[in-house]
Amino acid sequence: MNTAKQPLLELVGITKRFKQLTAVNGVNLVVNPGEKLVIIGPSGSGKSTLLRAVNFLEQIDDGIIRFEGREVGYLRKHGKLHLDRQQVICGLRAEIGMVFQHFHLFPHMTVLANVMEGPLTVQKKGQRAAQEIALEMLGKVGLLDKKEVYPATLSGGQKQRVAIARALAMKPKLMLFDEPTSALDPELVGEVFDTIHALADEGMTMVIVTHHMGFARELADRVIFMEAGSFVVEETPADFFSDQLGNERIRAFLNRLI
Amino acid sequence: MRISLSGIGRVVSTLLFLWVLTGFAAAGQTVDLDSLFRQAGDLQSEGNLQGAVETLVKVPPPAPGQDGEPFVRSRMQMARIQFSLKELDKAQATCRQVLALYPDNSEAKNFLASIEQERKSRLGAFIDDCLRFLPVLLKGALMTLLLVLCTMLISPLGGLFIALGRISHFRPLTAFCWLVIWLFRGTPLLLQLFFIYYGLPALGITFRPFTAAVIGLGLNYSAYLGEIIRGAIQSVDHGQMEAAKALGMTYRQAMRRIIIPQTYKRLMPPIGNEFIALIKDTALVSTIAMVELMRSADQMFNTYFNITALILAAIIYLVFTTVFTFIFEKIEYRAGIYEHR
Repeated sequence: MNTAKQPLLELVGITKRFKQLTAVNGVNLVVNPGEKLVIIGPSGSGKSTLLRAVNFLEQIDDGIIRFEGREVGYLRKHGKLHLDRQQVICGLRAEIGMVFQHFHLFPHMTVLANVMEGPLTVQKKGQRAAQEIALEMLGKVGLLDKKEVYPATLSGGQKQRVAIARALAMKPKLMLFDEPTSALDPELVGEVFDTIHALADEGMTMVIVTHHMGFARELADRVIFMEAGSFVVEETPADFFSDQLGNERIRAFLNRLI
Repeated sequence: MRISLSGIGRVVSTLLFLWVLTGFAAAGQTVDLDSLFRQAGDLQSEGNLQGAVETLVKVPPPAPGQDGEPFVRSRMQMARIQFSLKELDKAQATCRQVLALYPDNSEAKNFLASIEQERKSRLGAFIDDCLRFLPVLLKGALMTLLLVLCTMLISPLGGLFIALGRISHFRPLTAFCWLVIWLFRGTPLLLQLFFIYYGLPALGITFRPFTAAVIGLGLNYSAYLGEIIRGAIQSVDHGQMEAAKALGMTYRQAMRRIIIPQTYKRLMPPIGNEFIALIKDTALVSTIAMVELMRSADQMFNTYFNITALILAAIIYLVFTTVFTFIFEKIEYRAGIYEHR
């Protein structure tokens, strides 16, 4: 099978409801290997929910998730979707890295132990092998000198870079970023942005939910504008930011940001 | 209101005035000393020592120029009676009354010295008591310690099980754990111990006292710790579980590696509290034929009618609770070391 032509991730008709509210409403999306997608949109538009659904942190009510061509994660019983066995879900998550707005580093572990945790516990690698990977990833995000400290001593930007290293240590095929710079002080955004940029340059496939237009402008292959649970527009950055684009709501949203 | 109050005031002040007057009158009267001494002697021979002292104290100090002999005699007799009543402080004070007037009175001096002697031998008696009781009490204390350690080992595990059961999504388990907590937190530990030791044999289940005690204490404390541990687990930021899951961890792995280790620090103060309570609650098992510290102290007290046994037991309990408090503080500090910046 030739996997090169096959999309890495394919979402078909993803729907997620919270009681009355439909947070994600029949979204379709194809992510090809090496692609960088940026999803923007007003808060409450379902961007984060969609991203979390890809990682099964949100259980969808309807739709199909295909990863590397296989339909994954859910079993259909009596027309309702049921999450697959834990083992299957964990196996899928292990191939998808996720970075959160609030970092969620493990506070009781040193920076090194944080990054080692995935290879060690999930992939059952030995201490030495896990440490080797962790050091490599910490080097990548430029925090080798912080390996022995606890997260409490780090700045927000450093924490987020450790979180990126922690996700990378699993050698994921896809990286999901859920507003990676939204919780940072403005002067710390740059270092995290640069780290993600460098990762993009390495060819990592990534989906980024953000309010930071720099991501959309500088590293997106496609920009998706989401509103009220649906994709309004899916464009290249050049088209997206050009005034030719005839969408009032996007222009209003962008104007509010600038 | 004001009128009646001032009326009362007037009556009281009048009465006071009269009382003072009669007091002076009494002082002015010459007391019949011989009859006082006779009365005191009679009371003393009747065995009414307190009454004798009350009579003797009426002998007034000599007025200037008067013979002090009756006063000295009365006070020395008083001191002897007080001494025989083991009221050493009062006897000493009485001797000092004499010495205050007659600093060279050798009788009072000698008696004071012998009171001091008695005091020292009392300390000796206390030490003797201690030496007599301590071996028995320490043996009891060892049993108490054993009970405490067993419960300390069992209850956190039981508590963890109950806590995880309570937060699991498997309904029957949740219900079962809720029931355990409801039952063991809702009834007296004493009743639970009685039920296990005296009640269960009726159903054909018999335990040795130690087993019954450990089961009772273990279940009771598991129920309490269960709620404490559940609270601590649920107080860990939800993002921690998500981050662990996002890495690909199973629920078990996430709990074991990420969530539970973060509860240690916040668990220590309430668990320390519970364990201090546990040390004292072990006294309850003395009711189910367990010879531990409380029971030993009780036995010594009832055999010798000597409160030294109880005092010593209290001291041993205090030593236990103090040492454990200290240990828990140390553990809490270590458990939270990662939070220090």
